[in-house]
Amino acid sequence: MKPNVVLRLILKDWRLQRRVIILSIAAGAIALATLLMRGQTPVVIGAVFFFISIIFCACLLPITNIVNERKKQTLPFLMSLPISSSRYGAAKLLSTFGMFLVPWLTLVVAALYMIVGRHILPNGTIPTMLILANLPFIGFCLITGTTLVAESEGWANAAVAVVNSSYWLVWYLLVSHVPSLTRNWAGPVAVWSPEVVRILVVQFAIVLLILALTLYAQSRKRNFI
Amino acid sequence: MNDYAIELSGVCKSYRFFDLQNIALRLNCGTIMGLIGPNGAGKSTTIRILMGLVYPDRGEVRVLGHCIPDAQVAAKWDIGFASDDMRLYDSMTLGWHINFLKSIYSSWDDAYAHLLLKRFGLNAEQKIKGLSHGQRVKAALLLVFARRPKLLMLDEPTTGLDPVARHEILRELTSVMAEEGRSVLFSSQNTQDIEQISDQITFIDRGRIIDSVDKELYLDRWRRLRLEVPDGIQLPTLPGVIGIRQTGRLAVAIANAFEPHLPNAYENSGARVHAVENMTLEEIFVANVEHSREEVKA
Repeated sequence: MKPNVVLRLILKDWRLQRRVIILSIAAGAIALATLLMRGQTPVVIGAVFFFISIIFCACLLPITNIVNERKKQTLPFLMSLPISSSRYGAAKLLSTFGMFLVPWLTLVVAALYMIVGRHILPNGTIPTMLILANLPFIGFCLITGTTLVAESEGWANAAVAVVNSSYWLVWYLLVSHVPSLTRNWAGPVAVWSPEVVRILVVQFAIVLLILALTLYAQSRKRNFI
Repeated sequence: MNDYAIELSGVCKSYRFFDLQNIALRLNCGTIMGLIGPNGAGKSTTIRILMGLVYPDRGEVRVLGHCIPDAQVAAKWDIGFASDDMRLYDSMTLGWHINFLKSIYSSWDDAYAHLLLKRFGLNAEQKIKGLSHGQRVKAALLLVFARRPKLLMLDEPTTGLDPVARHEILRELTSVMAEEGRSVLFSSQNTQDIEQISDQITFIDRGRIIDSVDKELYLDRWRRLRLEVPDGIQLPTLPGVIGIRQTGRLAVAIANAFEPHLPNAYENSGARVHAVENMTLEEIFVANVEHSREEVKA
């Protein structure tokens, strides 16, 4: 039986990118630990650095895992293996997503624990926290899709710039246009209003759409190297 | 069993500033084909099409009996590919690369890999970033050879190597070929390398195949005739002669289909034949490319 080359490539990526994953989790953990100090300033600093650690991971992983294969000319080595361009794309997508999901999920769960278990912030902030934590996830999907399809450092940098600049705009839109979010975030209970649920569903749909478009574009490529 | 390791017919690929035109090529199983061409001739594009990395606009491609690009995965199990722009992972050791490939290829020959480590003077514990250019090329070829592929596709693997390293690589390539049924497509600008190891030679220039023939027959077909042309004598146009360069009374005729009667034909026209010389592959390559370009212009 032939070994699964896609799986070998994914394991290879995990081995090569383990430092980025560990660094992101460590940075996020330090940020969350800052919240334990209580008081407004540590909470603001901890929350900001918590999101920065996720954003850092969302920007860095696609660059180191996808762009560098081409930039450092290791792509011909990979493509000499029994794999097609579409399977290579699938392997890269799976490995990059997996590597992002580990720190992202770890940090989101840790943040939920801080709110629910340690009462650092009121439970009313949970919907806001989840919506905000999904933003770097969507940003990560956009950067990953762009890098994989465009295969250029320039496009990757452009995607990073666009994604990172848009966080503030989305934040502004959420605060100004979703009153149920701001109305309830200081409350003792998490309120899952229809608006909040709709936002979460739309975020999920955007992730799926980006994934589907990326796989489709990758399968249509006629010049791979 | 398929007689050809590689079959290309009517293959075309257009880019904005380059066209690969109607490529037809066959490599018999168990032979080494040298693919020679100047920069930008289409060597790498041809090899990438064979590897399924670039899809042709038209034409048919078969490698080891598999249709490319559709069945590229099946074909690649038996192909060893290396190119001059291929790099290994800088931060990892050669040993890590060996283990990585070992986990993929059941055909991986560990004993042979260790033998090559010794022959090439490489250390499996060393990180790739600590290797010289020559050592990196040797490491990449070790990883290709130890898979024991049926077909080797090497795109300018000896570029930038010193003569000693080149000799080592070519010697290993020749010993790899000692195994029955293994085929090699070897592209290079270095005609000496091609002349040394190839059975078959293919010239490519500006996206067109100029010639694809048996090496010995080919070298035998080309001759340079050094002539003395007395005043008032006009050299005749003879079949098989592709060009004449004349400076004063001295002339050089290049024949690409030499026949023993050619010197007599010149003597009969009043010229004196001073020498009939064999040509090196490099000289043939240059003459052939120039002739082909003149033909295209005309």
